[in-house]
Amino acid sequence: MIFREVEDRDLIAKARRGDVEAYNLLVSRWEKRVFNYLLRLVSNREDALDVSQDVFLKAYQNLPKLGNPEKFAGWLFRIAHNEAFSLLRRKSPESEWAGEPRPAASAHLLPLELSLAVESALKRLSTDQREAVLLKVYQGFKFEEMAEILECPVSTVKSRLYTALELLKTALAPAALGGEG
Amino acid sequence: MSCKSFDWKAYALGELDRPARQEAEAHAAGCVRCREELAALRLTLDALSALREEEIPQRIAFVSDKVFEPKWWQKGVFATLFSPNFAAACVIAAAILVHGFARPHTDDAQTQAQINAAVAKAVMEVEARYAEQLRAADARMTDMYMTTTGLVRQ
Repeated sequence: MIFREVEDRDLIAKARRGDVEAYNLLVSRWEKRVFNYLLRLVSNREDALDVSQDVFLKAYQNLPKLGNPEKFAGWLFRIAHNEAFSLLRRKSPESEWAGEPRPAASAHLLPLELSLAVESALKRLSTDQREAVLLKVYQGFKFEEMAEILECPVSTVKSRLYTALELLKTALAPAALGGEG
Repeated sequence: MSCKSFDWKAYALGELDRPARQEAEAHAAGCVRCREELAALRLTLDALSALREEEIPQRIAFVSDKVFEPKWWQKGVFATLFSPNFAAACVIAAAILVHGFARPHTDDAQTQAQINAAVAKAVMEVEARYAEQLRAADARMTDMYMTTTGLVRQ
């Protein structure tokens, strides 16, 4: 007997018809990914949890407006992106919103543990660059999907991501090489 | 093709289609510089993958949770405001009010006189009709009497 896992689109269709349990299952599937994306973006656990809650509530309220259920992931992360940036603007309206990249600080890298080194290197990126890395490397979105989520051209997405990768390459080289040895 | 025509970041991130990948790989096979660049990128991406995923400290509240239920006063107010009975009562009350305010304002004495006149006219008409019916009945009785008498005489 073959068990076929219920697809997201089936759950979305049920949730649209008012099946709350179907939506709850959808939340269970996506909450960890959304939380981790927000955690890396806003760098605060409580804020990430609060924003995650808002994201799923807003998604539920706007579910009828979702055109193509196949694009649920991108749509959900777009809501998450908007909510996160709304919070960041409220918290620090003058900080880094000019979009200027911060210089990498590879000289001060402490490669005691690779995970901590990565976390530290990610924090040194600008918010836009970090978000590009989060969406591509950790969430696996395509450039076009990222452009939809971030509401910007693909060229901008690539520019942010490529700059971030260059900075990370420099910052993580000692840790990555150390981790290999 | 020159090294600059290859997008190694797009390659490492899995954004190239099969023909572009094959072309890039063919170039890298004979280009040390591009191989080094690709190796450095892969090292960075491997390092990034070491970032541990955090567990969510508490589950996201479901829309079916108690926290999203309306408060008792919200329930009361909304239940009242959106019930069909309340809506119907509102419509009737509005109709009564509109009728009361929109009705032409007339003098009470004049109205009473008109009513009295109408009633008197109606009474007269009824009495006249009744008198006519009595006369007709009387005539029919007289005819029957005469007919009966005539038969007796014969």
